[in-house]
Amino acid sequence: MLYDVKLTLDYGYDPPVSGGRHHVRVCPRTLPGIQRVVASTLTVSPTPSEHTEFTDFFGTRVAALAFRAPHDALQVTMTARVDVERSDGDIDLTPDLGTLYSDIEKCPSMGATSPHHFLGASPRVAASPSVTAYARQSLHAARTVREIANDLCLRINADFAYDGNATKVDTALDEAFELRRGVCQDFAHIMIAGLRGLGIPAGYVSGFLRTIPPEGQPRLEGADAMHAWVTVWCGREAGWIEFDPTNAMPAGRDHIVIGYGRDYADVSPIVGVLRSAGGHETSQAVDVLEVA
Amino acid sequence: MPDLIASYRPISGVPDEMVAADGSVKPGWLDLMHTLDRLGGEELTARFQRADQYLRDAGVFYRMYEGSEQGERAWPLAHIPLLIADSEWQQIEAGLTQRADLLETVIADIYGNNELVREGLLPPELIAQNPAFLRPMVGIKPASGHHLHFCAFELGRGPDGRWWVLGDRTQAPSGAGFALENRVATTRALSDVYGSLHVRRLAAFFRDFRNNLTRLSGDGSGRVGILTPGPLNETYFEHAYVARYLGFLLVQGEDLVVVDGEVMVRTVSGLKPVSVLWRRLDGEFTDPLELRQDSEIGTPGMVEAVRRGTINFVNALGAGVLETRALGAFLPAIAQARLGTDLLLPNIATWWCGGTLARDYVREHLPDMLVGPAFSTLLAIDDDGATQAAANLSEPDHQALLERIEAAPKSFAAQEAVTLSTAPVYIGGVLEPRPVTLRVYAARTENGWSIMPGGFARVGYSLDTSAIAMQRGGQAADVWVVSEKPVEQVSLLAGSSTMVERTPSGNLPSRAGDNLIWLGRYAERCEAMVRILRAYHLRLAETGSETHPLLVATSEYLEALGLDTAEPVPQGLLSTFDGAVRSASQIRDRFSPDGWLALTDLQKTAQRFARVIKPGDDATRAMTVLLRKLAGFSGLVHENMYRFAGWRFLEIGRRLERGIQIADAAAWFGRDDAPDGAIDMLLEIGDSVMTHRRRYGYSLGGLGATELLITDPLNPRSVIFQMTELLEQLKALPHGVVEGQLSETAKLALRLHTQLAVIDSAEVTPENLIEVANGLGEISNSIAQAYFG
Repeated sequence: MLYDVKLTLDYGYDPPVSGGRHHVRVCPRTLPGIQRVVASTLTVSPTPSEHTEFTDFFGTRVAALAFRAPHDALQVTMTARVDVERSDGDIDLTPDLGTLYSDIEKCPSMGATSPHHFLGASPRVAASPSVTAYARQSLHAARTVREIANDLCLRINADFAYDGNATKVDTALDEAFELRRGVCQDFAHIMIAGLRGLGIPAGYVSGFLRTIPPEGQPRLEGADAMHAWVTVWCGREAGWIEFDPTNAMPAGRDHIVIGYGRDYADVSPIVGVLRSAGGHETSQAVDVLEVA
Repeated sequence: MPDLIASYRPISGVPDEMVAADGSVKPGWLDLMHTLDRLGGEELTARFQRADQYLRDAGVFYRMYEGSEQGERAWPLAHIPLLIADSEWQQIEAGLTQRADLLETVIADIYGNNELVREGLLPPELIAQNPAFLRPMVGIKPASGHHLHFCAFELGRGPDGRWWVLGDRTQAPSGAGFALENRVATTRALSDVYGSLHVRRLAAFFRDFRNNLTRLSGDGSGRVGILTPGPLNETYFEHAYVARYLGFLLVQGEDLVVVDGEVMVRTVSGLKPVSVLWRRLDGEFTDPLELRQDSEIGTPGMVEAVRRGTINFVNALGAGVLETRALGAFLPAIAQARLGTDLLLPNIATWWCGGTLARDYVREHLPDMLVGPAFSTLLAIDDDGATQAAANLSEPDHQALLERIEAAPKSFAAQEAVTLSTAPVYIGGVLEPRPVTLRVYAARTENGWSIMPGGFARVGYSLDTSAIAMQRGGQAADVWVVSEKPVEQVSLLAGSSTMVERTPSGNLPSRAGDNLIWLGRYAERCEAMVRILRAYHLRLAETGSETHPLLVATSEYLEALGLDTAEPVPQGLLSTFDGAVRSASQIRDRFSPDGWLALTDLQKTAQRFARVIKPGDDATRAMTVLLRKLAGFSGLVHENMYRFAGWRFLEIGRRLERGIQIADAAAWFGRDDAPDGAIDMLLEIGDSVMTHRRRYGYSLGGLGATELLITDPLNPRSVIFQMTELLEQLKALPHGVVEGQLSETAKLALRLHTQLAVIDSAEVTPENLIEVANGLGEISNSIAQAYFG
């Protein structure tokens, strides 16, 4: 499936800011078996005083920007052509929990995809007894790790209302859980906390969804903005499998990955330090169109 | 046998540092105790007080965090040094050298190839889930080739008489400066015996470390900075002290900026490169962009500079992960695998409960264990909030602990609960045994590790081992490594060529410049306030009535300055003193201990007066005392401070403020409808009564006063005099005059100066004076823009 992706992030500052330094994580990356990036560009306005790129620990492409001149607006535009090549994983090769635990023990790796990074508390996902208790209910119906993850994914989708006004980007996990509402970021964090509470390695995926659904199918929730879902380590054999609790489905050919992290903090689209006294306004626009 | 030893009762079964198990006295102690005996209790007490006085005078303090007792505390020195024979010390040196090398191997692997994890020598979760593990550092080789340059180790002597490593300090070890102060204070008290024993000196260690930092800075164009979290940190005094001692820049995160991947310090001469930072804050706080986003003491882009290899951190960011308590469980095996040998100095037996065998062992031997968080970086004996001595637990608590371990075994580490050796402390004329630990510093040099020979031990407040923590009443003691042979005499100040190189000029950080200006302004403002208050209370004592028109007018004037004359020592005056102290505390490294002492004495005196002083006579006398002390402070600064850019900023602050204060006072008391006596009052405030009398007799009144206080270029209190001095200082600042052109700031000052120089004193109106005061305010803003922006 070939897509043209376009993202525009707009920031307005009042009063103007006198300088700033940002890390931008918005460019999809090539991931064998998942997607291939045919081409991508990143443009920034005003022209930054410094613009360099590096790859972070989890493999995400990061643009490092610095501005020295005062400016009252910032616009970041990313365009990419991405070939999504996910296959449908029908056969469940994932083990039961006991086997998963011993698989983890037998994984002496510190690499970016090692399950060990995705088990403990992370900056935005602290251990949460209430979320763990909620996740534990998924153990009744399910046996394999994939079944457990899938059950939790479906339950979050059923029990939580998608509500763009209920939470903010920095809303705490427990708060969103109590509200039983939120957006993709909240759902992903809750699912991650639940899985980790059960000892299942889980990470955060930042990315995009196709904007217009294929003929006869409903439009996906969150398609008009950047999206987030969950990646789950399902044992040595099956490896990582991605679930989208916002849309109650495994990630498929409608999902385009920017990057992975332990939680939002590792892959937030833009982090920055500004010298500013005032507030700022933001908006983002996303278009993910199938290339005819 | 000296009485002090004869009456000393070590605890049976516990090794003692002075008296061996067979009752014999260890080397050096006999000489020391003979001397102490000979001096006698009275003389000893006097000498120990002298040591404490030295520490107070030098401003050595320690910041308390706990509970309501927040604030500064005098450095708690246990006056009897701990003596260790050089032969024994050499074993410690060999052991710590080996250990520091091993730690370097481990940290290089953790942020490098991860072979230790792959070979099963290190559990991956211990690193991957460790909050001190900084992912952005993975794969970055430090520019210098090494992660570790300065470490500290906490050592205790176990029941078997051997020294054990209780903890490794690799994040940002503190206390090396305190060790120096321990030494200075202790030798003040015990100079005679110090001279006669062959005690190894500390200076060579600092010389080597300093030379190494200078070496790391490469070709010398980049500066070496000591990066401090700032004056609120518990060991800020030490940061300032060490910066002064070693001659390095003391900087805070906000002083630094990263430009095109290079770290620069904002100085009054513009941005200057920095290539080495000895950091005294935890690594994750150094960059809010890439590490802890909530850090307010970091510099955005710092990690970028590390990635580019333009900055050397001492120690590398992420090195703190080595402090993890559970790591101790794996070091013996890693030593075997990597060095092919046992650790020369064993570390305290440690078990990580994440391993099944270890967990079972801990469960079976729980009463012999200290159990705490696996990721804790505190010593078990310093961490009694989170770490429990299982032996002290009740049966239910014991059971609960077992259950908690079972529920999350990977979160727990256990260490053998050992009794530490004791050392004598002097309490009420006799010696008593107290538990003791050593803190030993290691610095990397061109020729490998250099170990500081002694300097720092911690002595418990009571026999309870946990009472060793300084925050809980523990004390610090000097450690003397006593050699049988004469020792090398080194002073950091002595003339070896490497030690006398001057730090590059133009190094004054902008923040320091700003604080110096404000220190000057606050000090001068205090003086102006005190003079007016004295004049007020003098007249109040004479007239006995607050409703006297002159007193009412003065009251109004003081109110505009934020002073309420209902209070004899107004709150507004105290806050102005506080402001001066606050500004000075930001620049302790540029400030003589005497100057600091004089300033804090002023602050304390004013606070004391505020509690007891009554209006009128009493207040007049109090203000006279404050004025005298202020003059003392100004004198100290003026006579003792080197005339570098820092002094100029201080001087600029004083001139600006004095000009503003005189102009404002002259505008108010010199106006046509001012009450009777206002001119005398003004002259008194301007400290120009005598001059006025000599020059004008009793005639002329207002006109003479104006001339004297505004336009007389020879009166050091006149506004024009301040302007002249100000202009000179502005010209002497960096970029003050470039190719014959005055800086914008200096031009402003020149214009104001000319305006005032050409005016006829008879024409000066209050409006003119207000304009002058405003003009000085503009100059102040212009300085801030040009030098501190």
